[in-house]
Amino acid sequence: MTAEEKITLRLPAKSDYLDLIRLTLYGVATKVGFTYEEIEDMKVAVSEACNNAVLYAYAGRADSEPAGEMEVSFLRAGEALSIVVRDEGDSFDAASVAQRAEPLHGKSIHDIQAGGLGLYLMQALMDEVEVRSEKGTEVVLTKRLVKSGEMA
Amino acid sequence: MNQNEKFQLRTETQEGRCIVYLSGELDLDSASQLRAAMAPLMELTDRELILNLRDLKYIDSTGIGIFVSVLKARHAKNAPFEVEAIPPGIRKLFDMTGITSFLTKS
Repeated sequence: MTAEEKITLRLPAKSDYLDLIRLTLYGVATKVGFTYEEIEDMKVAVSEACNNAVLYAYAGRADSEPAGEMEVSFLRAGEALSIVVRDEGDSFDAASVAQRAEPLHGKSIHDIQAGGLGLYLMQALMDEVEVRSEKGTEVVLTKRLVKSGEMA
Repeated sequence: MNQNEKFQLRTETQEGRCIVYLSGELDLDSASQLRAAMAPLMELTDRELILNLRDLKYIDSTGIGIFVSVLKARHAKNAPFEVEAIPPGIRKLFDMTGITSFLTKS
């Protein structure tokens, strides 16, 4: 996969397809040259973005309406891979979610809750995370390739 | 490794303890299966509830969220709950999110 090449999956925004997205990510990231551990990190981050699309993007739709769709694109940009998860549903309030994006360290059992962990994990597992909400939501997750020998 | 593994769970009840073995990939799609299985077990306050993750291959915030709700429900009932045999990859996510100390002893 060279720069400027793009692979896109377009699928119903349903949880049954999350495994297919992880399998595709595995294939693409292996081809680009990421390590097993890096790919495991990306799997979680990409799933978190897709989970949001599945859970919230089309939540207001009646069952009789056609299922909403999500699009997952893989782009090689220089020494990095960007994964773009896009939906055309109701935008979620990225700013307010970002404020809640924090881990549970140092909290008491009464104060811990899982909300906000998804975005926190995306930020912790990727090098860059960008959330754009206009017509629908677009999450851009970027991981840089670190060649062996360049490790700190 | 490049083949997804279907989520499965198996419950083993012993005297004084109930162990739930999770395997495969726990994602948004399989979460309902775990929630349904845990609901009746959370009520068994007279025994220790243990989740064994030895064969769990994948987890994200959906699964972590279920663990948090089980933890809180058990804590409210003053009933013991623990997660054991955590694989390194999953342990890393637990450490990142800060949940490790709530789920394991010591």
